[in-house]
Amino acid sequence: MSHSPVETLVKMINQIAANNRAYEDKEAAERVASHIKRFWARKMKEDLVEYLDAGGADLDPIAKEAAEQVKNGRKEATATKQAV
Amino acid sequence: MRVETFNPNKDYGTPARVSETLVTVEIDGVEITVPEGTSVMRAASLANINIPKLCATDNLESFGSCRLCAVQIEGRRGYPASCTTTVDEGMKVTTQNSKLAKLRRNVMELYISDHPLDCLTCPANGNCELQDMAGDVGLRDVRYGYQGENHLDSEKDNSNPYFSFDPSKCIVCSRCVRACEEVQGTFALTIDGRGFDSKVAAGQDEDFMDSECVSCGACVQACPTSTLMEKSIIEMGQPEHSVVTTCAYCGVGCSFKAEMKGDKVVRMVPYKGGDANHGHSCVKGRFAFGYATHKDRIKAPMIRESITEPWQEVSWEEAINFAATRLKDIQSKYGRESVGGITSSRCTNEESYLVQKLVRAAFGNNNTDTCARVCHSPTGYGLKVTMGESAGTQNFDSVMKSDVIMVIGANPTDAHPVFGSLMRRRLREGADLIVADPRHIDLLKTPHLKKAQHLALRPGSNVALVNAIAHVVVTEGLEDRAFVESRCDMESYEKWREFIRDERHSPEAVEATTGVAADKVRQAARTFATAKNGSIYYGLGVTEHSQGSTMVMGIANLAMATGNIGREGVGVNPLRGQNNVQGSCDMGSFPHELPGYQHVADDTARSHFESVWGVKLDNEPGLRIPNMFDSAIAGEFKALYVQGEDIAQSDPDTQHVEKALRSLECLIVQDLFLNETAKFAHVLLPGSSFLEKNGTFTNAERRINRVRKVMPPIAGKEDWEITVDLSNALGYPMHYNHPSEIMDEIASLAPTFTGVNYDRLDELGSIQWPCNDENPVGMPTMHVDDFPIGKGRFSVTEYVATDERTNSRFPLLLTTGRILSQYNVGAQTRRTDNQAWHNEDVLDIHPSDAELRGIKENDWLGITSRAGQTVLRARITDKVLPGVVYTTFHHPGSGANVITTDNSDWATNCPEYKVTAVQVERVSQPSEWQQNFKSFEALQMKLLKGAADTAHSEVEAE
Repeated sequence: MSHSPVETLVKMINQIAANNRAYEDKEAAERVASHIKRFWARKMKEDLVEYLDAGGADLDPIAKEAAEQVKNGRKEATATKQAV
Repeated sequence: MRVETFNPNKDYGTPARVSETLVTVEIDGVEITVPEGTSVMRAASLANINIPKLCATDNLESFGSCRLCAVQIEGRRGYPASCTTTVDEGMKVTTQNSKLAKLRRNVMELYISDHPLDCLTCPANGNCELQDMAGDVGLRDVRYGYQGENHLDSEKDNSNPYFSFDPSKCIVCSRCVRACEEVQGTFALTIDGRGFDSKVAAGQDEDFMDSECVSCGACVQACPTSTLMEKSIIEMGQPEHSVVTTCAYCGVGCSFKAEMKGDKVVRMVPYKGGDANHGHSCVKGRFAFGYATHKDRIKAPMIRESITEPWQEVSWEEAINFAATRLKDIQSKYGRESVGGITSSRCTNEESYLVQKLVRAAFGNNNTDTCARVCHSPTGYGLKVTMGESAGTQNFDSVMKSDVIMVIGANPTDAHPVFGSLMRRRLREGADLIVADPRHIDLLKTPHLKKAQHLALRPGSNVALVNAIAHVVVTEGLEDRAFVESRCDMESYEKWREFIRDERHSPEAVEATTGVAADKVRQAARTFATAKNGSIYYGLGVTEHSQGSTMVMGIANLAMATGNIGREGVGVNPLRGQNNVQGSCDMGSFPHELPGYQHVADDTARSHFESVWGVKLDNEPGLRIPNMFDSAIAGEFKALYVQGEDIAQSDPDTQHVEKALRSLECLIVQDLFLNETAKFAHVLLPGSSFLEKNGTFTNAERRINRVRKVMPPIAGKEDWEITVDLSNALGYPMHYNHPSEIMDEIASLAPTFTGVNYDRLDELGSIQWPCNDENPVGMPTMHVDDFPIGKGRFSVTEYVATDERTNSRFPLLLTTGRILSQYNVGAQTRRTDNQAWHNEDVLDIHPSDAELRGIKENDWLGITSRAGQTVLRARITDKVLPGVVYTTFHHPGSGANVITTDNSDWATNCPEYKVTAVQVERVSQPSEWQQNFKSFEALQMKLLKGAADTAHSEVEAE
């Protein structure tokens, strides 16, 4: 029954995407990304980005776009931190 | 004289009346003004004129049978009963004169002529109303003698484990019968026979245990003699002092008087001054407190290097240092985020607050979670998104003003029994009932229920159903436009309205999904939307789904669209499973939120905490419980501090949980017993029961109630002291002398708790948060003028079916739940006489599904899901729908969660306990997991006994 941690993360983000599908794709992806930023632990986000960078094969399109946004958000945060 | 004070320790004889019209009467020369409809007896009592009484008590409607309360009223003939006579303006009443005295003595003489004269050896001696009244009226002789026909040889009924029924002492006042009807709403008791043969009978003149009696204790409390008497009183005698405290079971949060002899609890009596329960109780809170002194209690700290080694009893200092050293070593080896902590909703607010503070400040991460994760986390999410506050909107009393009560995925008479009784009272008064549940819950069998609609939906289809109800409301023009336009965000509303109007949400379109006939859904929607006051109550049958959060938002949408928010009688009411689910969430136990629901990424809020706690805090959320398990199995998460929660039994997919626990290098469990989780632990810190500590619980109404210590902690420390010790050993100093100081710190950090402190709680009895400058005494009804987010926000609630589907391999849907006599994982109730009602979990299966499989009552059944297999006995019942099976999870060996899956709510990861596809077949032996469970349990009990034996021999050697 149990999945590897990354399989679980992919299942989770795809499920979040599925539950936001009633919105237009752009808004849906933003909502998914926002949800992950607010609720996922640092390591989970890092693992998601790593999975995305490896191709993100099983990510649903909205989830993939959201993962991109999470990745970019983390980059920006790091850049801001370094600048400070 | 106008009296408005209420003394919860006084019996005013008849219930209070509410009226804007006041009436002034003169009783024994004293003028008193009371609301119209008040009885003469109550008015007199309010003026401290106590009229003798036997059949009257102030939680029951007057009955007028004993005639002891006769009075004389100027201008009226005879001697009317003061309990059944209501006050009239200008009425002049005399309660004492020689005629009345003679009449009362005559009445008492008749009673005593058929009553045993064993007062000195009677259990009620010193606390008997009959004895008191005999004294009051000055009874000195019984002219009739004692030789006539009587009931003195009537046989006792000792079948109930907690109380005895001795009919020889019964005066047939009917208080017990009326309490069962009016207070509890079960109607299990009756007066059988007529005239001299009249007697109290349970059910069809059965033993109490064989009758429909639910052992709530209302009859025992109502009995004015020793006829219905707690066995603990019979054994121990009358208590000598009492302390008011709060029950440690469900989310109703009943107030009780712990009646004591020294430091021993003699009995728990529901406290009339408790605003959640008004003097009522259930079998758990009233009687099932014996676990606190059960022989299984762990009385000394223990440690071990691995889970295959015997436990060693050690000093508190050694255990704390062992735990702290392990945690520090693990963090230095695997990193700051390799450790975390979990609290239970059985912990007090102060304990939950301290554990999350320990994790955030001493561990240096946000890996803190609570068992609310696995029950009501979707409530927190869904209500925050839509209405801006993660809490129910009403107090319990609000239901008495509801015209339609919609109950979704909840079973109040079993899981929240005292509130279930209140709800039944309102239903008897004529409120409509709509139940959306796959099971035919007992609320639908409420005696004298006027109108009920049962939407017996398929498990997993809640969102489709609530969308269909909302579709009817919108398309048939049943919305409360005025409310929506004035109170809600119109952009979100228009978006939702367009979504919900779509034909695909119509009852007809979703009929195949929900299994509920479209016309029934339409009828229910009309009933709810057109009622003056419509309220929604829901439980874990809403939250524990992969769409749990969506469903909570769907409920909020429905309440807002129909204008059922912001006044008494309406609202969205999550029925919290455990006593402090609300509180544990309020206290910042979730990994993304600091106390008071302030996000960890909110720089302003976080810096406030940083300045008070004197430490830098992480601004990213931590791991949730299921993420901790995954991370442990991946080898990244290595140590866990668990206070009061039994994750090995309560969390889904048991084999996954066990694998995670075995992966930990250090598991610290703080609990009363060697629970299932503790069997995987390296450090066992003995906790204290609710009777052994101070603190507060917050119930489902947001009501903060005091928990008061009535006996010293058996293992020497209150739970909050243990967390303080651990924190100090980790190098993060915590200094508190009393939990009141912890609450003061909470009040300084959580905006909704600003006005809460122990002095104010003592003064007011309880407080419903928010309590601050704007609401100094708390807030019974929320969102009266606006929402914390300004306008209410509608959410689009797309129905996304669960991945868990039935097929030819797994054709049935399993749903799990709980019953009246047992509580959650059963760690407490299994160690009480409540076992008499439910000593094993069974599988409920519909007769047609049973017949198809050749299953007979009590057959052993193998239940197989995609996650695992377990074996339970069959109970064939039409309480479940065809295609649905049901079980409870109160006994660890049942392995109910071996078969539940790792599916969870999309927003919060609340497990989907309510939908598991299974196959059921007859088998002849326990499952492999059950066999392994037995051998592991035997090993762990042996390792525990090793600790006890070692400690014992050390004592002997000294």
